[in-house]
Amino acid sequence: MKSAISTVLLTAVFVFLLAPIIVVVVSSFNAVGVLSFPPRSFTTRWYSEIDPTYTQALLVSLKVAAITVSIAVVVGVPGALALARGSFPGRSLLNAACLSPLMVPALVVGVAAFQFSLVVWDHFGVVLGGTMAGLVLGHLTFAIPFVVRAVLAAHTHFDYSIEEAAQSLGATPGQTFFHVTLPMLRPGIASGAIFAFLISLDEVPIALFMGSGDNTTLPVKIFTAMEINFGGDILAVASVIVVVSVILMFMLDRVVGLERLFATRH
Amino acid sequence: MAPGKKALGRIEGRNKGGRLHGGSGWPLLASPMILMVGLVFALPIGSLILLSFRSMTGPATVGDEITIENYRLFVTDPFYFKIILNTFWLGGLVTLCCVIIGYPVSYFLARTRSRWRGMLLFLIIAPLLVSAVVRNIGWFPILGNEGLVNWLLLKSGVISAPLPLISNFTGVVIGLVHALLPFMILTLTTVIQRIEPELEEAAANLGAGPLQRFKQVLLPLSLPGIVGGSLLVFTMAIAAYTTPVIMGGNRILVMATFIGQQFRTVLDYPTGATSAAILMLLGGMLSLLALRFGAQRTEMAR
Repeated sequence: MKSAISTVLLTAVFVFLLAPIIVVVVSSFNAVGVLSFPPRSFTTRWYSEIDPTYTQALLVSLKVAAITVSIAVVVGVPGALALARGSFPGRSLLNAACLSPLMVPALVVGVAAFQFSLVVWDHFGVVLGGTMAGLVLGHLTFAIPFVVRAVLAAHTHFDYSIEEAAQSLGATPGQTFFHVTLPMLRPGIASGAIFAFLISLDEVPIALFMGSGDNTTLPVKIFTAMEINFGGDILAVASVIVVVSVILMFMLDRVVGLERLFATRH
Repeated sequence: MAPGKKALGRIEGRNKGGRLHGGSGWPLLASPMILMVGLVFALPIGSLILLSFRSMTGPATVGDEITIENYRLFVTDPFYFKIILNTFWLGGLVTLCCVIIGYPVSYFLARTRSRWRGMLLFLIIAPLLVSAVVRNIGWFPILGNEGLVNWLLLKSGVISAPLPLISNFTGVVIGLVHALLPFMILTLTTVIQRIEPELEEAAANLGAGPLQRFKQVLLPLSLPGIVGGSLLVFTMAIAAYTTPVIMGGNRILVMATFIGQQFRTVLDYPTGATSAAILMLLGGMLSLLALRFGAQRTEMAR
């Protein structure tokens, strides 16, 4: 009796968690009245009606995520190493400052970046709003802290004796760094980079305020399209995203482990 | 952030003995990062705070003089007070729902020896990897007037007219609970796992009923987890923008949606900046508080 109740409750919670994701896929094949459920007739029409601008937006999203994460790794990994190993005045302050962007709501970062781009335009005549550069700068606000935090976490288990061994065997500092230190930190760097990449692909508030026109990311494109006209084509796009996400999810779980990936988050 | 702090702690310990990694080149190594964070974050936020002390002179135009008028309005004008109240009400309700739904699930996950445990954890985390926009879209065929829930309720004769479940406050609550429940479950599971089952067994042997065991053993011991998880969920709920806009049908006024409105349609940048600064302050204070309670959360990985 008791276990029957708990089974029902647990099932209900899991249905709640998974329902909208499953429904997106089912409803995208609904021919008449896409928002009515259960569907009464089947069609693949919505998939052929997907506007090519969605593909364009996907490309923008991928480009922004790739550039953002590359920059974040290049500046974040040395920065994290300095934070982990150096002992210089103000280090703990610097540590807090570098991670602080994660404590600020993305919407606030978005509007801050937006009005700052207006200031930059006023004073220097440089256009950032609506450009690829603007999107990347906006996304660096979370990408750098994600990478730094993941590398710092990986560095806790760092075994210095291997570096010492390399040096006593005659390796130069450069060789030690690239052949010993970096490979040892690779899992940390990877999980920070993957996480930043995923958030960049998914993020709305910052990309909403920094992008426009041809430089609109996919989630923002869907977000604004929903405000205007919510139809079958949007469900079809969303359904494609679900399928891709699920494939990605299983791959990530195999490679990194989902629990580990999310443990680095908060 | 907690793992970072802990990392530093351990390395400091390590460096006391280790001289190898001293040296003064470290700040130099960190300088690209410092410059970058300064450029993309510190400068824009500073400029936003400055903007919050100016006043609007026309759509999308801003005066030069410094004033605290925007802040004064926020504390005195009932219109703004209502927005802040709405924000707290939304955050509180979402948090409460997450605790009530999350606790039994976490208890089960913490205590079960089922071989499905890993799979269940995967199913809880997995929705987080699907875009928030996409998850929100999925709620429309479920909660809409012709959606699944209303279809079931109408068919079974429980109601005679469809319930308004989306494009309103209810919709926002459902969307946010869905988005934040996994965080609550993960936090609570970690904490409950640490409570030894023997304590509950002992209480049972001494004649405590299930309710008494929960009230006098489980609840007090898991309180830090409940507080930590609640602070985390509350902070994320009041900071969320995408879900309140989509699930609220663009008509629910909380701080986040108000800020979006000021910058996107009303074009009163200083008022938008002021509300953004207040939201940032609130979020920052709550995050710091959550960190105090959430130190154990990072162990979740192991």
